[in-house]
Amino acid sequence: MEFTTQLLYAHDQILLAIMIFVIMLGMGASLTINDFKAVVRQPKGVLVGFISQFGIMPLIALGLATVLNFNPAFAIALILIGTLPGGTTSNMFTYFSRGSVALSISMTTASTMMALIMMPILLKLYTTGFTSQITASMQAAGETAEFIIPTGNIISSLVMVLVPVAMGMYLRKKSPGWAKTAEDTAGFVGILVILYLLLTAFIRHTSLFIQTPVTVYIGAIGLGLAGFFFGYWFSRLLGVYPLFQRAISLETGIQNGPVSFAVILLSFTEPVQSQMLWLAILYSTFIVITSSIITLHFRKKGRFDWDVYRNTHIHNRLFGKGYVTNYPDGFLHKRIADDPSQGTEPSQKRA
Amino acid sequence: MYYRIKAENLAQLYQKAADKFESMPAFATRQSAFNWTPVSFREMNNLGLDLATGLIDLGVKSRDHVGLFGDNRLEWMLADYAVQFCGAADVPRGRDISDDEIVYIVNHAGIEVAFVETIKLQNRFIGLSDQLPGLKEIILLDPKAEPASGVKKLWDVLDRGSQLRKQGDRRAEERIAGIRPDDLFTLIYTSGTTGQPKGVMLTHSNMTSQVENLPGYHNCNDRVLSVLPIWHIFERVIEMYTISFGGCTYYSSVLTLGDDMKNVEPTFMASAPRLWEKLHERIIKNIKASHPVRQVLFHIAYFLSKQYQNSLYYLYNKYLKIKPQAAWKHWLLMPFHAVRWALVMPWYGFFNAAVLERIRLGAGGSLKATISGGGALPIHIDRFFNNVGIPVLEGYGMTETSPVISVRSHDNLVVGTVGPFLKDTEVHICDQETGEVLYPNQNLPYDGKGIRGEIWVRGPQVMKGYYKQEELTAQTIKDGWLRTGDLGMITHNDCLKILGRCKATIVLSSGENVEPEPIEMRLQQSRFIDQCMVVGQDKRYLGALIVPVWEEFRNNGHGKMSDIELSQNEDVRKVIRREIKNMISPSSGFKSFEQIRDFRILPNSFQIGEELTNLHKIKRHVVEERYKSELSELYANGSSQK
Repeated sequence: MEFTTQLLYAHDQILLAIMIFVIMLGMGASLTINDFKAVVRQPKGVLVGFISQFGIMPLIALGLATVLNFNPAFAIALILIGTLPGGTTSNMFTYFSRGSVALSISMTTASTMMALIMMPILLKLYTTGFTSQITASMQAAGETAEFIIPTGNIISSLVMVLVPVAMGMYLRKKSPGWAKTAEDTAGFVGILVILYLLLTAFIRHTSLFIQTPVTVYIGAIGLGLAGFFFGYWFSRLLGVYPLFQRAISLETGIQNGPVSFAVILLSFTEPVQSQMLWLAILYSTFIVITSSIITLHFRKKGRFDWDVYRNTHIHNRLFGKGYVTNYPDGFLHKRIADDPSQGTEPSQKRA
Repeated sequence: MYYRIKAENLAQLYQKAADKFESMPAFATRQSAFNWTPVSFREMNNLGLDLATGLIDLGVKSRDHVGLFGDNRLEWMLADYAVQFCGAADVPRGRDISDDEIVYIVNHAGIEVAFVETIKLQNRFIGLSDQLPGLKEIILLDPKAEPASGVKKLWDVLDRGSQLRKQGDRRAEERIAGIRPDDLFTLIYTSGTTGQPKGVMLTHSNMTSQVENLPGYHNCNDRVLSVLPIWHIFERVIEMYTISFGGCTYYSSVLTLGDDMKNVEPTFMASAPRLWEKLHERIIKNIKASHPVRQVLFHIAYFLSKQYQNSLYYLYNKYLKIKPQAAWKHWLLMPFHAVRWALVMPWYGFFNAAVLERIRLGAGGSLKATISGGGALPIHIDRFFNNVGIPVLEGYGMTETSPVISVRSHDNLVVGTVGPFLKDTEVHICDQETGEVLYPNQNLPYDGKGIRGEIWVRGPQVMKGYYKQEELTAQTIKDGWLRTGDLGMITHNDCLKILGRCKATIVLSSGENVEPEPIEMRLQQSRFIDQCMVVGQDKRYLGALIVPVWEEFRNNGHGKMSDIELSQNEDVRKVIRREIKNMISPSSGFKSFEQIRDFRILPNSFQIGEELTNLHKIKRHVVEERYKSELSELYANGSSQK
């Protein structure tokens, strides 16, 4: 499939830029210095999350792009999305899925910083096959240029994205009230802009939806779903607590969409830019739907161990740090029996 | 996952709970905001057995009545444990008991041993001792106070029992084995219509049936915040229910409730409507004080939630269905609601998560359900909480039915009703005059659903009777059917809706019962007041409609004015206000909640055949109907008058 017209007009790009700014500002407003310190306190969870975000997720993207036989532009976009850090959206979904919000925030923080190094390396590593395809077709068309991943541009666009995050953190420090408002607004703005882009795309390029091959839809939806699935089972097999499993699962599947817009707009040019953006828009749309469904599922499944965690937590809050909650025999299931507080209160550890 | 202990009597319930839940916390008392003292099921059981042995040693026999006068505290619960383990029944009442009531209750119930909570209450008992010939022992609950001579300390009695048990005393176990299901576990005195309190006899099987039949999904992860008076039957059934699933009861108080809700994060709570009104007030105040963007977000969220919930109620047939609905109409509206539900859902989901969750966090954030009882919950408060996602399960009952007759459950949450009847409970709606059964009645359309009448109840929770008042018992319970004195109807989706009371008794939203007649009689003694009616059902305070003696005012300088002009005259209002204040005051023997806070003057007097019966009794519902606007005006600016 070829894009005959430009996907985004100039004013759309400005709108997108504003959205990225607002969302990243909101993300910063939700973070404090303590969140960075918390990364050190939960090394196992963060490490498992790191492996699943930067180890498993890009592989899933590569695998999907290969199996679904994506054209190079879509393939590069999918792998790009696979290597993105986590966003604050995952923190909200983790909260409602009764997962560990602390871990989710730690992972978001850690992966956002690590992305500066990991994204260029991984992109280079996994996209070589596809970039050479583009180069080949360009040379076939008589051009002498070679298509390469613009590593320098990607790093600088990532740094640019981190500026509003830092501003948000500063805002949080100065005025928590405004920071809260910024945080709330961010989520709402994100959804509105995505919906606007979809709607305008629908009106301007109705045929785009039909032209887009089914495999691209499958890839855009499947990437998130596979991330949830592998994130959950990978952490479960490593014996991480249920609360952490849910956080890691969502953090793996939900990527920071706005960062991908920023990177694509700032680092790539046509003929691939529009197609890459289109995939990023599709991913960002479907991830909201799939993660809502997954969250509802987790919320239901996780009710019991969440109740246990909350109850022991409150016992320690009210009865003293040393209080041990002894549940009746057989009440707790195996995975949380030796630590009903699931790693957050030292006194509750049994083993 | 959801486990509930089944027991034949309460002593057995306490023991089985100790065996099952062992060292899980059963009760927690507040020392300061983040410092609470837990007592486990096992500890409570052991302490209870010790105290019971001490009581037996003091001479408490099986089926004795033991007084228990005090308010929420751990020792109260401990005393209750001990009384049940003795095979005796307690006679509970709060600290606000009047001297007359002490004398009446202690003598009428034949109390020989009584627990009193505080030094102050102890001194009142000692002062009244001439009038309490049967009372032999007083035991002080407050562990920090030093009792007067002749009065025992609870912990001393307990220590004595503990020594005896160490020596092998097992009389408590024998007593427990001897408890029969129809033995009393409590004798609760309620203020009656005829002046003297009535002793409601409730048996072990009354209470165990409630514990078994209450709908709800709970387990030992649940935290229950307790604010109602502990001796109130509504609070007691919640206590017993909580013990049955192994939850922990956290004793809070009205003053610390806001903080305690945030720190304890209760999952379950029971309270009178007044508390929900206050909470609602506070939430609204916080929203109004918040950032304008936030206010707008809240209103959007609330609006979406309302649309979403209303469609959901319709789709599940859980809306207030007072009238039957034709099938064609139902099928016509169904797709409309389905579409609205689907359209609103994603937006509702987002706003619910981003905005309403914060409101729920104000109430701790973990509330799975709250129960409101002891009075009617105003419908707007009911809707508000359900729309912000804190399900309020309104229940209906009375002390005589220990107490739950019906309650909304999660699966049957019809706002505006008190839900379906409890399991094993039969309810009839009967004609007030003839006693004819209106529901269920096959000869009436829809089996009699939607017709108002008096509510009659038959079931395992109905009391044994009024203590030593056979005649009154026979009037109240006929052929096993208890006449509640409340008006109600069955909705077309099988829920009970309460419509008011047959009797004149006014139940304020605080749960206080007020008999309007004595107040009215007193008011009519004023030379300025001709007729009056006291109102205030489900309100926070009493109000009155007054018909003045116009001649008195005409003779005193308002000669030329008509009745209507007089009724709007400020001087007249002033005089009436002063009269009411003087006549209904604590010094003239009226309680604080019996004060008239506001009133309206009526230009026309009550007429026989209209507002009055042939015997000059007020037809209250007629007056209420006729002066609807005056009444709503009376309570419209209620929050400002305190």
